[in-house]
Amino acid sequence: MLSWTLFAAGIGAYIWTSRARHIENPEDKVVPTFVQIAQGLAEAALNPDEADEQIADLASAGLWDRFTHSMLWKDTKASTRRFVISIGLLVPAVLLGMHMGLFPVIGAFFLRFILFFDKIIALSVLPILFIAFGIDELSKIMLIVIGVTPTIILDAFNITKSVPKEQILKGFTLGATNFGVAYRIVLKQIAPRVVNSIRLNLKPVMLFLFAGEMIASQDGLAYRIALLRRHMGMNVIIPYVLWVALLLFLVDIGMRYLNRKMHPWFREE
Amino acid sequence: MGEIIKVESVHMSYEREVLRNVDLTIGEGDFVCVTGQTGCGKSTMLRLILGAETPSAGRILIEGDVRDHPDRHRGYVPQKYSLFPDKTVLENVIFGPLAEEFSFLACLTRRYRRRRAELIAEAGDLLKRMGLRPGDGAKYPDQLSGGMQQRVAIAQALIMRPRILLMDEAFSALDQATRADMQRLLRGLWAETGTTILFVTHNIAEALFLGSRVIVLAKADPESGARVSLDLSLGGLQRSENGHPWHDEATKLMRRIEDAALGNHTDCELAELGQ
Repeated sequence: MLSWTLFAAGIGAYIWTSRARHIENPEDKVVPTFVQIAQGLAEAALNPDEADEQIADLASAGLWDRFTHSMLWKDTKASTRRFVISIGLLVPAVLLGMHMGLFPVIGAFFLRFILFFDKIIALSVLPILFIAFGIDELSKIMLIVIGVTPTIILDAFNITKSVPKEQILKGFTLGATNFGVAYRIVLKQIAPRVVNSIRLNLKPVMLFLFAGEMIASQDGLAYRIALLRRHMGMNVIIPYVLWVALLLFLVDIGMRYLNRKMHPWFREE
Repeated sequence: MGEIIKVESVHMSYEREVLRNVDLTIGEGDFVCVTGQTGCGKSTMLRLILGAETPSAGRILIEGDVRDHPDRHRGYVPQKYSLFPDKTVLENVIFGPLAEEFSFLACLTRRYRRRRAELIAEAGDLLKRMGLRPGDGAKYPDQLSGGMQQRVAIAQALIMRPRILLMDEAFSALDQATRADMQRLLRGLWAETGTTILFVTHNIAEALFLGSRVIVLAKADPESGARVSLDLSLGGLQRSENGHPWHDEATKLMRRIEDAALGNHTDCELAELGQ
């Protein structure tokens, strides 16, 4: 209950600031009122996107139809696609980290390079990425890859290193091959901790995704926020920001739930 | 009985020398306890025999061959981390045969499911002999006591029917009562299966109770590596009904072993009781 007081205090402070600014200037766009925000949200979530010609008769369409043809839906879809591809690309990163931790030769081959790679500020190579990969999807995905995969590789490497050596020896004495030890013993043991590591890196993933979308994109949540900034469209920007936070919060809860369901033996430290 | 393990002039060094010129022959079906002071290289010797490490010099022959990688013929029960935490007790026990017989993707086949069912029945019997209840099979290792975990670890190793069972301070973390219980269980299993057992322990009383032979490792001086300072065959040892050595004899032997563990012998002493 106590934690909700902070939310209440934040909302209260917003209402007070908004009211004060609107008394001073009724045309104020910087801190819109809740009514203006609700109008902006309805505009973004229930009106068809300007480019959409599928819904001819808006008035007769149901709420779901109106939502699935809205600007918010299309932007969410575009950002989600990039997000899912980026998370998918973390799977090989986890496997590489695991092999590095398990097989000294692979570890020795990659470790220094990954440690150096990890120090590169991903946003600083953004111009290079645009030149090398163009301004399409690939450059945005590559930005996330450069920004997050080294961290995930190193996390998976360290988590693998922490698997007791006895477990690996035991695996061999039970007739498992190198492959069996890696995928039947180690991967299963590190999986919940790696999922946690990815979960904790969701924000950097979104950060790099937003950076890419804001700079060069034709759709996506961050593209829309950047576009609306030019028109001071705070009544839509604020719902967009809250929507992104809500989505990320739900993904976080979903990953925690799946982690618990899939790894009932795992006890969080 | 033929020899199953032969350690020939083995030296082992890391930053410092751990083992110096260790020679040892272990016969098939022996129950050998290796004891000595903490840090004298007992566990190192066990890891060398397991194939987890390679000696700096000398060689180790297992059934006449140099085998420098752990394999299914040498079962292993360490003090900790014996069981896979992500698998239930039953899954832990049947892991070995399934991993050996089926590839990673073969777990989708009907033959795999059939074999798994057979192994679950076999593992259930084995766990029962180990003193576990039927309901324990579905538990995860961290839901079991330390003693129960070690029982499962022994079952996990024995289901592979290894030629040699290597146990590294396997009962050290257990309380006195559980430890005594586990010692009786292990002696019973050894008598029943005839598996060659190499049991590392720093507890002299445990070594005397369990082993058919006790080997003491000791350093001649703090800088040198350990060597075998006493090789004691207990075949002629007088034991009570419950398998314990008679008190007077045990006391004498313990003093002798303690003396050897302190490195007070300049040469390896070979002794056979009752001869």
